[in-house]
Amino acid sequence: MINVSIIKKQIAGFAGLLLCLFAMAHLAGNLLMLVSSEVFNRYAHALTSNPFIYGIELTLLFIFLIHLGLVMRLQWENRSARPEKYAMQKRTGRGATLASSTMVFSGITLLVYLVFHILHLKFGTDYRVSYDGIEVRDLSRLVMEYFGSPGTVGFYVLAMTAFGMHLSHGFWSAFQSFGFSHAKYTVKLRRLSIVFGVLMSIGFSILPLWAYLQGV
Amino acid sequence: MSDRSLDGRVPFGDIRQIWDRHRFSMNLVNPSNRRKYKVIVVGTGLAGGSAAATLAEQGYKVASFCIQDSPRRAHSIAAQGGINATKNYPNDGDSVWRLFYDTVKGGDFRSREANVYRLAQVSNNIIDQCAAQGVPFAREYGGTLSNRSFGGAQVSRTFYARGQTGQQLLLGAYSAMMKEVSKGHITVYTRRELVELVMIHGRARGIITRNIITGELEKYSADAVLLCTGGYGNTYFLSTNAMTSNGSAAWKAYKKGAYFANPCYTQIHPTCIPVHGENQSKLTLMSESLRNDGRVWVPKARNDRRLAIDIAEHERDYFLEEKYPAFGNLVPRDVASRNAKGVVDDQRGVGETGLSVFLDFRDTIKRDGKEAVGQKYGNLFEMYNRITDEDPYSRPMRIYPAVHYTMGGLWVDYNLMTSIPGLFALGECNFSDHGSNRLGASALMQGLADGYFIIPYTLGNYFAAEHPHEDIIDVEHEAFHEAMQSAKDRFSELLNIGGSRSVDTFHKALGQSMWEYVGMARNEAGLKKAIEEIVDLRTQFWKDLKVTGTDVGVNIELEKANRVADFLELGELMARDALERKESCGGHFREESQTEQHEAQRDDTNFSHVAAWEFKGVDAVPERHIEDLIFEHVRLTQRSYK
Amino acid sequence: MSERAKMTLKLKIWRQENARSKGRMTDYTLSGVSPDMSFLEMLDLLNEQLISQDKDPVSFDHDCREGICGMCSLVINGQAHGPEALTTTCQLHMRKFKSGDTLFIEPFRAKAFPVLKDLMVDRAAFDEIIAAGGFIDIATGSAPDANAIPVSKINADLAMDAAACIGCGACVASCKNASAMLFVSAKVAHLSHLPQGQVEADKRILSMVAKMDALGFGNCTNEAECQAVCPKGISISNIARLNRQYLRAALLSEESESMDCLEEGSH
Repeated sequence: MINVSIIKKQIAGFAGLLLCLFAMAHLAGNLLMLVSSEVFNRYAHALTSNPFIYGIELTLLFIFLIHLGLVMRLQWENRSARPEKYAMQKRTGRGATLASSTMVFSGITLLVYLVFHILHLKFGTDYRVSYDGIEVRDLSRLVMEYFGSPGTVGFYVLAMTAFGMHLSHGFWSAFQSFGFSHAKYTVKLRRLSIVFGVLMSIGFSILPLWAYLQGV
Repeated sequence: MSDRSLDGRVPFGDIRQIWDRHRFSMNLVNPSNRRKYKVIVVGTGLAGGSAAATLAEQGYKVASFCIQDSPRRAHSIAAQGGINATKNYPNDGDSVWRLFYDTVKGGDFRSREANVYRLAQVSNNIIDQCAAQGVPFAREYGGTLSNRSFGGAQVSRTFYARGQTGQQLLLGAYSAMMKEVSKGHITVYTRRELVELVMIHGRARGIITRNIITGELEKYSADAVLLCTGGYGNTYFLSTNAMTSNGSAAWKAYKKGAYFANPCYTQIHPTCIPVHGENQSKLTLMSESLRNDGRVWVPKARNDRRLAIDIAEHERDYFLEEKYPAFGNLVPRDVASRNAKGVVDDQRGVGETGLSVFLDFRDTIKRDGKEAVGQKYGNLFEMYNRITDEDPYSRPMRIYPAVHYTMGGLWVDYNLMTSIPGLFALGECNFSDHGSNRLGASALMQGLADGYFIIPYTLGNYFAAEHPHEDIIDVEHEAFHEAMQSAKDRFSELLNIGGSRSVDTFHKALGQSMWEYVGMARNEAGLKKAIEEIVDLRTQFWKDLKVTGTDVGVNIELEKANRVADFLELGELMARDALERKESCGGHFREESQTEQHEAQRDDTNFSHVAAWEFKGVDAVPERHIEDLIFEHVRLTQRSYK
Repeated sequence: MSERAKMTLKLKIWRQENARSKGRMTDYTLSGVSPDMSFLEMLDLLNEQLISQDKDPVSFDHDCREGICGMCSLVINGQAHGPEALTTTCQLHMRKFKSGDTLFIEPFRAKAFPVLKDLMVDRAAFDEIIAAGGFIDIATGSAPDANAIPVSKINADLAMDAAACIGCGACVASCKNASAMLFVSAKVAHLSHLPQGQVEADKRILSMVAKMDALGFGNCTNEAECQAVCPKGISISNIARLNRQYLRAALLSEESESMDCLEEGSH
């Protein structure tokens, strides 16, 4: 059953939606920086000192790999479904959008981004700070340092634009794959999907831009 | 030319019981023996598709052939209007008897009573079957089937599925076929064209086909062959038929001894989109319902090329309303068509080519408003606009008649068997039920009646009575080799003429002669001229044809050449039949036979019969056989629309 | 049509000898094209000229030429059935183009639709999908009275909307993944909107999708180009419906166990 096209898409879509949930939580955490670095650092500490964190991280990785693995397989199948390409192919303008037709590219961009993101931040310099006698990681300092460089900020904003585009099609698309269809609400869902993509993209760009502007 | 009396083998008795009694008296094939019989079905339209599916359900081994890339594309798909049945759901007085009566009368008393009665009888079963297959017929809010009145009928007996009735019914038959394909009872051969009929010991025992993709000739044997290959309207080059609709299968059968009945009966539809120029390849039909609200007119002055809007009311000739005050624009198809041709011949036609008349909605739009007209005819206006780039809301539509359906076809007896034992003809391919004119929404009914509910009985009777399978033959039989050789010779001859003219130029020339002389109005001198022109054109064809390419692989020109060669013979027979039938009836109008009011005048004393032609050689005069038509249940009347 | 209005076009047409040979785009210049011609009549004109030069005419699929048989195809300037919405190639008219335009004319392309010659493709895969279950298994003669099965008007209309599919394959041709989901979903929706189609609903959906996958069509990525080019305006809401009915059948239906065996066989 896992080999059936529809099921593969549904699983990939479901995994995608779970990743959306994660992204929303992540964004909420990010925005704590705007409150104060202490709140942010305490929050990060609470997260990472939680005994379940490894299980949760593994689950997240697993969901991510499922999403990645399935879309890679679907994409490979899609490419082999048309061995000879058209000399000219043009979108009608009545169906596909820029976001929908560039899902692979936005996906690859995100993958590359994630490697750097995890390497530079999660496994970045381990600064330390103490609040009320408890020593915690000073993630805030790392973030401020990291986004001091305009190149890094540019790269992040670019990646987050790709992320927003990916979501603006992917979010709606997952619902369609599960068979949600309604004369009125489908149109609304498609709009919501775009709004969601734009908000996430802006939301994730706020921190790097803000951090950069602090340093200027 | 000698006339003999031909027997339609209609069982004797009360017309209401003939079919029931006949079903009882016919022989049956034991269910376990049916798989021993092989049946070839050529064509996958409503008749062929329904026959193939039903025979396979019964247990016969069916081989189905079609010229398109899928059985679903046969030209039955193009029928828009609907399908008649005597359900009498609207409770407005319909009955088997009334449909029977209307059909015989509509056919201008030139069909077999018993056949028509049977058609009306099984019409209800067709609707049941199709609804059960999932054909999405129009429904009322309560969930029951919706009916409408069609083609001037006084009862609402027409079932429909938007403007796609033909398509939806065919998808039903096709899905029934594919169900049998999945069970291994039907083998489908697509992109094949019948090029020879194989006869052994006086029976039809197989066919030779040409594979359109590879160019290979292939042999198939069977215990019976069913031709469900449609009509021959493309003899006129321009018609509402599909591009591959052709007369070749029926023509090969004719040349092997099957009689061809009433070839001159052609239905010409008045509301087609007119020809735009010499590169026109086909004509598009618009629903006749347009005449309910549109007014037909031309300018009173000849060669008046002004725009409609510039022509004042007193300068307009509403010729149908003028001539037929009672029926006005709603006169029957043939009357409307003939009168349109009359004014065009009088050089009062409109449009750039002068080959059209106006169908004007100005007054209806003024009366009911643009919106109301749009709701009724929006789809048709859109289609018209797409093709002609003219907006029917702001300027009148232009229409012109076009060949639409051929009532003539292979002669068949009451069991649908041609004069060749083992060769059956179904649907538009046979001549049987529509007389000299077909009622609207009856073609779909006849195709499905033949395939679903008649052939399954009569074919079994043939097998059980004649045991053709005991005469064991296979494709290695010498008759197959001979037929194969003759097909091969024909194609190589076509390829090697080495002339200078393309196939289409011949087809267009044939079409012009046919339209001019064997069209809506015919006369002796014209028909003789037509025969002369066609014979001459045929000679030219075999001397000056140019076909590029070879007989290997796809060769679209070779395919067309093969079909046009047959049309060039069939056209002559149509003209000959029209010449011999010195009366006017239904779709056949002889100028010599008209009433004082210029209406069609039947001659029941001399022509109340079917003319069935027997082939005697390409350049020899065929023999005309007669099957007398006896009317016991319907009183013969003369039409009048004054 | 006056001489002044005739157009001259540059054509780039895919020519391929047969299914095994390699094809290529070939250039032609065609003059004398009237704006009132249909696209296929324009190709007829080209063929007449090719024949007069003793060249092989261009093979293309066509039949009814009134937009209903589904036989005509072609990808014109990168779009299946050309630039006009809700229009088959045979109903596309040359007045939509300008004199001097360059037109790319290619066959429908998909692994499941191999090119046979020039612009002709083999769409037998669609027949195979229908044979896998796109029917109601009722033998002739066993039907109840047509009004014994009431169908609500809304369902009858939705069934008709889906049944309007002419099986041309433009959905596959236009999809960047060559997916046949619109075609399959239209057939499934047509039957599943009707009470007559309920009995075999699960079996139908499972086998048709299995066949579709086995034939090498791609996967739907919900871009809706199929809906955009569909000459009959079939909606992708049918695809959503197929997706949810499939999931339900796969998880809950007894038919799905037997299907698993079938699937093993096809891999």
